[in-house]
Amino acid sequence: MFKWIILVSLIGIDGYSDPVDYTHEVRPILSENCFYCHGQDATKRKAKLRLDTKEGQRGNEVVIPKDAENSELIARIFSKDEDEHMPPKSSNRQLTEEQKLVLTRWINEGASFTPHWSFTELKRPSIPKTVDSNWIKNPIDSFVLQKLVRSGLVPSNEATKETLIRRLSLDLTGLPPTLNEVDDFVNDESTNAYEHVVDRLMASQHYGEKMALPWLDSARYADSNGYQEDGDTFQWIWRDWVVKAMNANMPFDQFTIEQLAGDLLPNSTQEQKIATAFNRNHLLNGEGGAIPEEQRNVSLFDRVDTTSTTWLGLTMACAQCHDHKYDPIKQKDYYAFMDAFNHLPETGGSNISAGSRIRLAKPVLDLGSPEHKKQIKTLEDKNKENKSDQQISALLAKWIAEVAKNKDFPDKEIYLAATLSESDKTDSQRSALRRYHYKKVLPTQSPELYKDSEELIRLKSDDDPMVMVMEDSKPRDTYILDRGNYESHLGKVIFNTPEFLPPMPSNSPHNRLGLARWLVSPANPLTARVTVNRYWQTFFGLGIVKTSEDFGVQSDPPVHQELLDWLASEFVSSGWNVKHIQRLIVTSATYRQSSLVTPYLLDKDPENRLYARGARFRMPAMLIRDQALATSGLLVDKIGGKPVYPYQPADIWGSLNITKERDFTYPQSKGNDLYRRSIYTFWRRTVAPANMFDASVRNTCKVRSMITSTPLHALVTLNDPTYIEAARRLAQKTLRAKFWKTSRISYAFKAVLSRYPDSEEKEILTQCYNKQLTHFKNNPTSALSILKVGDSSFDTKYPAPEEAAFTAVCLAIFNLDEALTKS
Amino acid sequence: MNPLSEAHLKISRRQFFGKTATGIGAAVLSSLMNDKVYGALTSPKNALGLPHFPPTAKRVILLWQGGGPSQVDLFDYKPGLAALRLQELPQSVRSGNRLSTMTSDQKKFPILPALKPFKQYGKTGRWMSELLPYIGNLSDDMCLIRSMHTEAVNHAPGVTFSLTGSQIPGRPSMGSWLTYGLGSMAEDLPSFVVMTSSDMQKTCGQLFYEHYWGSGFIPSKYQGVRLRSEGEPVLYLNDAPGLDRVQKRELLDDIDSLNHHQLKLNADPEIDTRISQYEMAFKMQTSIPGLLDLKSEPAHILQRYGPDVNRPGSYARNCLLARRLSEKGVRFIQLMHGGWDQHQNLDTQLEIQCKDTDQPTAALVQDLKERGMLEDTLVIFASEFGRTVFVQGDVTKRGKHGRDHLGSAYSSWMIGGGVKPGIAYGQTDDFSYNVVKDPVHVHDWQATILHMLGIDHERLTYRYQGRQFRLTDVHGKVISEILA
Repeated sequence: MFKWIILVSLIGIDGYSDPVDYTHEVRPILSENCFYCHGQDATKRKAKLRLDTKEGQRGNEVVIPKDAENSELIARIFSKDEDEHMPPKSSNRQLTEEQKLVLTRWINEGASFTPHWSFTELKRPSIPKTVDSNWIKNPIDSFVLQKLVRSGLVPSNEATKETLIRRLSLDLTGLPPTLNEVDDFVNDESTNAYEHVVDRLMASQHYGEKMALPWLDSARYADSNGYQEDGDTFQWIWRDWVVKAMNANMPFDQFTIEQLAGDLLPNSTQEQKIATAFNRNHLLNGEGGAIPEEQRNVSLFDRVDTTSTTWLGLTMACAQCHDHKYDPIKQKDYYAFMDAFNHLPETGGSNISAGSRIRLAKPVLDLGSPEHKKQIKTLEDKNKENKSDQQISALLAKWIAEVAKNKDFPDKEIYLAATLSESDKTDSQRSALRRYHYKKVLPTQSPELYKDSEELIRLKSDDDPMVMVMEDSKPRDTYILDRGNYESHLGKVIFNTPEFLPPMPSNSPHNRLGLARWLVSPANPLTARVTVNRYWQTFFGLGIVKTSEDFGVQSDPPVHQELLDWLASEFVSSGWNVKHIQRLIVTSATYRQSSLVTPYLLDKDPENRLYARGARFRMPAMLIRDQALATSGLLVDKIGGKPVYPYQPADIWGSLNITKERDFTYPQSKGNDLYRRSIYTFWRRTVAPANMFDASVRNTCKVRSMITSTPLHALVTLNDPTYIEAARRLAQKTLRAKFWKTSRISYAFKAVLSRYPDSEEKEILTQCYNKQLTHFKNNPTSALSILKVGDSSFDTKYPAPEEAAFTAVCLAIFNLDEALTKS
Repeated sequence: MNPLSEAHLKISRRQFFGKTATGIGAAVLSSLMNDKVYGALTSPKNALGLPHFPPTAKRVILLWQGGGPSQVDLFDYKPGLAALRLQELPQSVRSGNRLSTMTSDQKKFPILPALKPFKQYGKTGRWMSELLPYIGNLSDDMCLIRSMHTEAVNHAPGVTFSLTGSQIPGRPSMGSWLTYGLGSMAEDLPSFVVMTSSDMQKTCGQLFYEHYWGSGFIPSKYQGVRLRSEGEPVLYLNDAPGLDRVQKRELLDDIDSLNHHQLKLNADPEIDTRISQYEMAFKMQTSIPGLLDLKSEPAHILQRYGPDVNRPGSYARNCLLARRLSEKGVRFIQLMHGGWDQHQNLDTQLEIQCKDTDQPTAALVQDLKERGMLEDTLVIFASEFGRTVFVQGDVTKRGKHGRDHLGSAYSSWMIGGGVKPGIAYGQTDDFSYNVVKDPVHVHDWQATILHMLGIDHERLTYRYQGRQFRLTDVHGKVISEILA
């Protein structure tokens, strides 16, 4: 049996033997098992042996081309002697028999050495000439078909038109198609019907919202600073910039340069400065006792990590303390890169407070209108003149004295605090008294003082936005930090790009602008590959390189490297035209396949890396919510603006109330703002929105989203008022529709899934309705309770039991696997 | 619930299992929540090859003492300090240690000895503060570590470091690692549960961030589930108003039938996962309210935890719930209690804080012991750091002084689950400021905990960003001296 395995692995399944490929087969083995001690980090290197370079391999007869038998490497991996055997037991690493054979074959075939693929120049591969096939719609398909044929697979059929339009709409705008859009497409028999839909969706303003989402994850965008104080920010102004740029199809090179260095462009515009907020979206620690210089360095590290992961797909963070173990990134490269971000006039803590809730760190771009500034000034002058602060303090003291005398005061904690002498009160007791007085007592004690104070807070925290941006006005020396410790300086460095990659042009400035231009220069082998891979990931769930955050030596070897390279090169030569690349992807035959999983395909290609079928994966939580809002008719599709506060469990921010200064009551929105798209939901770093399961938590850069299934998700989509209200409104809409082309159940089903139910599905849902109706008829009050969920109106045109039963049916539809999935 | 509905539920549930227990459904269901087979101490290895060796503990109860209890006042007995009261702490002792910015500008560093006397407890005669009479009485079972040290100087980075192995948020927490590695033993509960409480007077300003029980870059199904004391115990646990349990069961059965119908047409295993996910959600809706209902607890047990046990959200109540959770097979129970950050109010708050935690902590240990569960349950009492021997603030003013954070030396303890009983490990200098013997770094502490669960900390890894990550980063050694 064993011999057969060896034989098969030697000759390959199809009966002839391809030479071993260093990049895809050999280096991953060496990297995983050997580079830790025999790689680029000189401090960890054992026996002075390097296996990551050709020179290292060839020295001391470690690898003798065409002579595996006498190569030390082979002797060691097959050795039975525990002291000789490699990798050693203590490394917890072990080679499989197959891996040993691969290494043996590689040496016997000549021990070819090629540098890691993604670090080499991007060349445009020629498009494979496959059998003339009318399946092929664009070059993507030629690459895919070639590999399918070689693996003995055939493409799946094209998905149904209903599936296609739902897939396209969700992928390009994040919203499901309307019933009319489905019907129009199904009935459009023109040859370009599909392309027309693509064009319509790409021109939609919602395209930018959808495409901004992964970028916001990557940019660790949030609406608050995190940590204890967790003050709110105005970074949403940058979020709007992103949506706008996406909608305008801003070329990716410009998109890059403006976000990294817009402020350094000659005569930079306000918009270009706003763009640089990208690198100010990080956490900001206002904890008492935090050491500002330490925190400032944490921000610098974050900028390096975020920038290098986002554009280069490199895990630079590993080189913060020592030379990278696997990739040729030296510690010096890390700090030379960091120098680009080290000239900001920042302290490491927050130093601007506006109103009670806004906390910012300089530098900021002040975007308040002169009119609002004037209003603020007027109010502040008035307060000064009236000595409003002293007046409020006096009223507070008077009230505390009254409470202390009132044993029956309803709030026991407040009563207790009031009775203590001023010096015995803790800080939090003081702030609890102040907050209680301000919210519940002052409005009646002095309506005018309260009104002015509230108005001032509102103006400052809502109408006088200041976005945190980049600025190079503080000369600072940058040092290599010993083991990443900000207090241990080693040698001084100035900005440079990592040595192992093609250098910047010699006339390039050694600053952020030089960095940005270098990232999008045609010589840079990584940026285009990394970026198109992420576009692919958006549509297929997995990137062509699965590890979209890492293109280094330890990354996932791509099955379709040539396809990736072709797309990347097309991206660059099209002038970094984002919509062009995305259009190529969604109009390919590869994308248009049915996503039906058969046991055969599951067995042959479980992860669908060869693309013999379309992609099928659960939608991100934000889109599941948007879908419910859209299909029920609740969605308010206004683009951009201040964050909003849709339904969250009561007291969701309660745990934050122990901080001293502000009130963390969740300020739930009213009316339209309850129904805005999820991208506009206020993102508090310390307590992320409870119903956005699985999202990036927006603390650090994240370019690959994790889609898992925990029962907690099901609890959200079954019990969150968001979904119950949407089900109720879909029921209401369905029951009141003028006429149904088919039954009511089919109408509601199609509103969510873009297709009609089959007879079995219809039967189950009809029974579902009947069963629920019986319950609600027996208990009409419970029917009324479910119909009252949510702030939106309901009327009594239909008997409550019927409407409630249909609500339950719609809730079931929202919770079907198919509804939660993009297929 | 009326008996009729109950019968109805049972039938439906049986029908459900009748449907899914065949085919891949059963396998998916067990991998999702319940790998009971891996629960026993003499367990076979699971798909990840775990446990690496026979464990001595199969579950952990972590009693997190947030803020940093003062080891000077509670655990690290330094009788010599009394004679040095208010004398300047020698510069040589402090040198090289970073202080938080709350005292780094302080001109003087006067020594403040323990506020209350220490006394000897148990057969071992262990010295501990008289403020901890109940915990003190555990000392014959306890392994007291007096040589803990960490790298962080502030709370959030310190807690993050202790619980995730890195000071920067983003890595999986210890409970996530354990549930990822060992799977679940619970039928109808998540395997990693978190509860929080703060001191009654709410003096503490520390927050409990979600990343303290987050799953970082490993799948979010391994993150801790927080039981809340107010509102719904688990977010979105309650059914929609107007939908009773029977209706909900029927609705779920219909969703289930429709998903099965799809599964006949499409072999995507994700559909099967979805089916199991919904069934577990339904089970949790029943099991969690049952867990929180303390009616079945006899009066003498409730009394054991002290009067605060009647207050939802108290540390005492959470200790009792921890015992109930451990009986239900929950693998990792993380209690997070705040209030030890006594910079300015050590003199007024320390005693109160000890009263809040002392009796309930001991009650939990005693309860476990009586049930024969202490043998395979590891109970840990720990914090992010300790406090300085020198005083912060004005020692002459009541409620105006305390101690600053100290990472270079602090104490923690463990009981049960294969830890050596009745020992004290490690030693600090005369000022409880630096470790002088047998240091236990945070990564060592983590490695040792994993070891007791049968895990080699170097081998429980997860590949992310091109690297095999682990709880202990690239450090940590098992402190075998404290293992039984």
